[in-house]
Amino acid sequence: MTEVKMTRRDFIKTNAVAAAAATAGMSVPGVALAQARGGDGVRWDKGVCRYCGTGCGVLVGTKEGKIVATQGDPDCPVNSGLNCVKGYFLAKIQYGQDRLTKPLLRMKDGKFDKNGEFTPISWDQAFDIMAVKVKATMKNPEQGPFGVSMFGSGQWTIWEGYAANKLMKAGFRSNSIDPNARHCMASAVFAFIRTFGADEPMGVYDDIEHADAFALWGSNMAEMHPILWSRITNRRLTAKHVKIHVLSTFGHRSCELADNELIFNPQSDLAIANYICNYIIQTGAVNKDFVAKNVTFHKGVTDIGYGLRPNHPLEQAAGNNGYPGADGKPKGNPNAFSPTTFDEYAKFVSEYTLDKAHQISGVPKDKLEALAKIYADPKTKVMSTWTMGMNQHTRGTWINNMLYNIHLLVGKISEPGNSPFSLTGQPSACGTAREVGTFAHRLPADMVIMNPAHREAAEKIWKVPAGTISDRVGYHAVLQSRMLKDGKIGFYWTSTTNNMQAGPNVNQEIYPGWRNPKAFVVVSDVYPTVSAMSADLILPCAMWMEKEGAFGNAERRGQFWRQQVKAPGECRSDLWQYIEFSKRFKVEEVWPADLIAKMPEVAGKTLYEVLYANGQVNMFPKEEAAKVNAHAWAGYTNEETEAFGYYVQKGLFEEYRNFGKGKAKDLGEFDHYHRVRGLRWPVVNGKETLWRYREGYDPYVKAGEGIKFYGNPDGKARIFSLPYQDPPEKPDNEYNLWLCTGRVLEHWHSGSMTRRVPELYKSFPDAVIWIHPKDAEKRGIKRNDIVKVATRRGEIELRAETKGRNKMPEGLVFVPFFDEHRLVNKLILDATCPISKETDYKKNACKVWKA
Amino acid sequence: MNISSVIVIPHPERIEAVRKQLATLPGVEVAAVSPEGKIIVTIESEGDRETIQMYESISLMDGVMSASMVYHQKENEPEVEISLAA
Repeated sequence: MTEVKMTRRDFIKTNAVAAAAATAGMSVPGVALAQARGGDGVRWDKGVCRYCGTGCGVLVGTKEGKIVATQGDPDCPVNSGLNCVKGYFLAKIQYGQDRLTKPLLRMKDGKFDKNGEFTPISWDQAFDIMAVKVKATMKNPEQGPFGVSMFGSGQWTIWEGYAANKLMKAGFRSNSIDPNARHCMASAVFAFIRTFGADEPMGVYDDIEHADAFALWGSNMAEMHPILWSRITNRRLTAKHVKIHVLSTFGHRSCELADNELIFNPQSDLAIANYICNYIIQTGAVNKDFVAKNVTFHKGVTDIGYGLRPNHPLEQAAGNNGYPGADGKPKGNPNAFSPTTFDEYAKFVSEYTLDKAHQISGVPKDKLEALAKIYADPKTKVMSTWTMGMNQHTRGTWINNMLYNIHLLVGKISEPGNSPFSLTGQPSACGTAREVGTFAHRLPADMVIMNPAHREAAEKIWKVPAGTISDRVGYHAVLQSRMLKDGKIGFYWTSTTNNMQAGPNVNQEIYPGWRNPKAFVVVSDVYPTVSAMSADLILPCAMWMEKEGAFGNAERRGQFWRQQVKAPGECRSDLWQYIEFSKRFKVEEVWPADLIAKMPEVAGKTLYEVLYANGQVNMFPKEEAAKVNAHAWAGYTNEETEAFGYYVQKGLFEEYRNFGKGKAKDLGEFDHYHRVRGLRWPVVNGKETLWRYREGYDPYVKAGEGIKFYGNPDGKARIFSLPYQDPPEKPDNEYNLWLCTGRVLEHWHSGSMTRRVPELYKSFPDAVIWIHPKDAEKRGIKRNDIVKVATRRGEIELRAETKGRNKMPEGLVFVPFFDEHRLVNKLILDATCPISKETDYKKNACKVWKA
Repeated sequence: MNISSVIVIPHPERIEAVRKQLATLPGVEVAAVSPEGKIIVTIESEGDRETIQMYESISLMDGVMSASMVYHQKENEPEVEISLAA
């Protein structure tokens, strides 16, 4: 054995290069990982990134009770050791200077006062006033149980969302619980259900390495999903034939790799999608066998309105918006559809010619044709990806449906590389918001509260009396804001989200609602966000590695982590908050006598005893935490296990698992997730599923069945006839520009975490407005000038940018929403897709002038 | 001192130009280029802020399609010699 001398610098560099080479799948001669880590007092454990829906694995390094380092997890198949710039600084998100550490109540003269100053109180005092407000709301005839309302999150851990859902829908018998995912991918959800009868993608990220062509429909993956983008760029680099098509309303970083860049007029994606289907039919490219065997044709109702308040002229005119008409009965149902035939469908899309698509979209004909060809060519495997451009759309459910139309017509689905893939923006939008069913109409595992059999199944699993769960859809996100303003919500509890910044029409709807004296607003948060500062009561939360957690990413992968450190001060996890708060209610205080009479054994019990200490959630003793995690951590425990005396997370998850078992929603066993880098459901006999609906990959498709879209009773997917329609607001002579909002690489959503990481804050401190140089010039605006931007809802002031990463077409401006000092969502109309109730943040009419 | 490594994926037609451009950046060394054109660089810099600024300028460089951080370490005594068994 010889001895080699080197400086520490060279040693570290060698390690750095070796790590990169291993990650990139390269061999670098003379470089090997010089030594295993250790000896520096840092304890490493596996974790999951706190930010987007990609679900990158991160290794978390802890020293002396603090997270000191993170790095991309080389063993996690999602990112294979890579990190984006946000993930790189993950270690710092828990340690912002202004961390909330005590419950704070608005008080004057020692008492709650809606206009008082935030004053520290104890958790006991906080729960006291909350319980009073919940009980008063339930008794108030103007409000009732649904007036007890919760706004949650796709960043909730799975058990937090599950505990909250149960507390609301079974405990308070209120379906007015909704996640912020409503703003993010509700359109994707409704389209999945309409087309396939089952939520979430059929494919997986592995599709990237098998695709011959990519089409990005309203998604800037280079900035918003950088790690998935690096997988696509790697595919493009290593397989020369691969082509990338990017559809967007403006040029952005993802366009730089595009072989075909299609900049289209806002809303015209509807026309482009129908044109592609028409092209496929006209050129004889329909996969006839596939369509005959696996597809049915339907026609959706069209006169569906825009999800505005019922007194809006556009809603008065709409015949199928589902709102009460003059006779008090609902005017149709925006989600309704009726059977049609292939021939009728072909006739319907035949009007979407190349000329018409070009005329509506403004995209050159050769570019439209090039895009259509990749779908039509049977030899080209196509992966379509999309995020907010398609989901935040007043016809968001439709455009999602229409993209599936394309893939279904050519049978390019449910196999490696052929993949319509809806991306998500939050770490557990799929795992918590969707799978746990924290929407106002949902129950776990794709069940819905409107279906009596589903309610019955849930009541059985939860061991609550038949009839506990209301059959009425609760208030969704946008409706919650309206109901607060109208005095119909008396108690509002929001967590792990920042709706005062991220919700639409802040000044006209959200803020007046929260400050309405008829409402008591509780914000559970980690930092003094705009939302926290607008609340009546702030509850300080434990975050990320301060609690044991589980997220579900966009490819159906559930991933767990252990609690690494203690939260500061009096911070508590949301899970502790929901369970502890439930002790404040006797069933007699929240349920009617006839309901209790159906299950006399619950009489006299608290909601805590009925919902959590129910023999299921509390079935794993404290010692179980150490046992389950012994392979990674001797003597492991966590805060909630210590507080309640049993392994709460395991009990909740094992109860929750019953919902999907045997229904193609199977999750793995709790213990399994703590040992592996995630599992993609359905997990059957401990084995994950990659491509759903296809024989050989999906255990729910039997031998000989080939393809089976078993979410629908007939085993077939649905193609829909749906037209192009104008958005509710378009630029006119006064408000003469399109305003589009969105995100930037450095910041995640409302910036409450990333703006507290100094490096990220400094690299992109304030929001700017991107504007075409000619549009700027016409208004006497120079680059870096301070400008005002206004819509019919309000105005903000910010700096003009004519260069840089985003390239605007004339007539459209872009403003990111991360900046709490420039709240662009004050300007946004609360118009939604009438089916999904998701707001369109992408198409408002605005004007811009020099300040 | 901060030492980190980044995997850079250039546009397939601009591999050589990107490699050359990267080599001119202060504190940046091109450690390896794969046959397909993937480039591994190391960044040496004074502090976190300088590291991130350099990383950002690599990300935004013409011809760079993606840049991903892999490894990062702080070292207070970079010139100290150590012995390794080889």
